[in-house]
Amino acid sequence: MDIRAAVRKAIQDMAQAPLPADDSASLFTGGVIDSFGLMDLMTNLEEILGVKVPDSELMPSRFETVDKIVAYFQARK
Amino acid sequence: MAAIKGFGAYLPEQVLDNAALAAEFGVEPAWILQACGIETRRVAAPEETVVDMAEKAARACLERIGMEAGALGGIIVGTGTPHRQFPGVSASLQQRLGVVGIPAFDIHLASVGGFFALATAVELCERYGPILVVGAERMSQVMAREPRVKESAILFGDGAGACVVAPGEGPVTVLDIKMQSDGTFVDDLSMEFGSTLNMNGRTVILQANRKLRQSLTELLERNKLAATDVNLWLFHQANVNLLKQVGQALGIPEDRVFLNLPRYGNTSAASLFIAATEAQAEGRMNPGHAVMAAFGAGMGWGSALLRVQ
Repeated sequence: MDIRAAVRKAIQDMAQAPLPADDSASLFTGGVIDSFGLMDLMTNLEEILGVKVPDSELMPSRFETVDKIVAYFQARK
Repeated sequence: MAAIKGFGAYLPEQVLDNAALAAEFGVEPAWILQACGIETRRVAAPEETVVDMAEKAARACLERIGMEAGALGGIIVGTGTPHRQFPGVSASLQQRLGVVGIPAFDIHLASVGGFFALATAVELCERYGPILVVGAERMSQVMAREPRVKESAILFGDGAGACVVAPGEGPVTVLDIKMQSDGTFVDDLSMEFGSTLNMNGRTVILQANRKLRQSLTELLERNKLAATDVNLWLFHQANVNLLKQVGQALGIPEDRVFLNLPRYGNTSAASLFIAATEAQAEGRMNPGHAVMAAFGAGMGWGSALLRVQ
């Protein structure tokens, strides 16, 4: 599975603003997702990618950009 | 087996609405409502202490269930805003109620303190007898510290709530209760002595969301119940969107979630018992199952399954 494509699609499915073309741009400051959206996004990605994010790693700074989200899940696949 | 004999609450008279806060921070009242879903909060009078509020809630509870303070076997107060470093609110409350010789102590936890006090009382009441449990907060005092930050100043209110927990079955029997803590995120929701609130809102929301879902899912599974088997859901009144999201994830019908957050804001450790008192007064605590759940600094969280007679 193309993790980047899966991540981008999952974000697009719930985005509150257009997904930036730059995958290193903050999803929070751009208004793409908020704290509540991030929770839903993590739940969806856990299911899609079959990776459980432990509570201790569930912090917004790890998942602030598409690049960071992709890197996190790639490292655990 | 333990049971809650009854609830009581106290809310200060002074109402702080969004217009006043909006004027202070130079924003529109609509922004505040949209940001937190809160319309008004109660604020203690200048001379009114957290002990005053705890006493009023305690006396309201004792009067409602027809119990003299002398019949109590213990006092536990949950608070994140005690009036001094030590001794705690419980000691002053014990003095005012005039009941010596029984254990009285504080559980110093913001938001989840009331729930932890309840869970502790459930464990202790068999040995000590009926235990007065109080959640009391004077959030306005600590939120007044400079520099005031609008994102947190708009959230909180003052108040107190109480209940009495006794051994055996009763009007509200506690069938299952569990408290949990995780110090991993201790610095993401904290307040140093004399300082302002430090809150990493995104982390708090993420952790609250995850931990409440897990706690409630496990509670329902342990007791072989579905979310729809529960008539009333009493949450710590922290954030409307958080409660909605947790409710949706668990399949809880929205009209079964009690919500008074818009009227009182987040009263921290007091909110659970204020909510229970109002739910009962409004006739929403009907025979069947009810659930209580809370989350707060520490981080601490927990949930309880209740059976209402």
